[in-house]
Amino acid sequence: MKKGLYTTLAVGGLILAAAGLIALKMGAAPDGFLQVLCYVAIGCGCGAFGHGMGELLRYRALKNAPDVQKQLEIERTDERNVAVGNRAKSAAFDAMLYIYAALNLALAMMQADLAVVLLLVFAYLLVVGLSIYYRCKFEKIM
Amino acid sequence: MRNRLEALRRERGIRQEELAAALEVSRQTIGSLENGRYNPSILLAFKIAKYFGVRIEDVFIFEEETK
Repeated sequence: MKKGLYTTLAVGGLILAAAGLIALKMGAAPDGFLQVLCYVAIGCGCGAFGHGMGELLRYRALKNAPDVQKQLEIERTDERNVAVGNRAKSAAFDAMLYIYAALNLALAMMQADLAVVLLLVFAYLLVVGLSIYYRCKFEKIM
Repeated sequence: MRNRLEALRRERGIRQEELAAALEVSRQTIGSLENGRYNPSILLAFKIAKYFGVRIEDVFIFEEETK
């Protein structure tokens, strides 16, 4: 099931990237929105192809090695590894709040376009709002 | 919290890798538990006690913090 999904992703990504590249080279989209669409298609296609191909290669490498597969599963679900990962994420989130705030301030002082500053402010508030949402959610279930 | 994991393991002549495989955790977790750098979840503590056939209190020693 998953193998089929990743094959579709790899093939679909390749087709999308190739279509974007061909459209760009043939001048089907000289400028404006269509040209942007071509670049987006190439970017998304490459991403999908890379992800799909990577998972397929991983599946193939582990197919005949159940012991390695089990060890990888143990490493993935190991409670200390999970705790270490969560702690790292938490520290990075704390740092991100300061980095976002500093970036907002810097952009405002550089007199950047108001739309850019407001977008960053909304993104910052969204992240803080999400953190409060998840805190309330986990308060109920834990 | 202190623990007697290393002593129990050595008494039975088990390697860290073997204990990790039996408990389905990584070898690093066993090392960290033995060094006292990591305190296990209650589930893992029960699994360890069950593996050695002892009570949890015989493996993990609770020490109250002195102020």
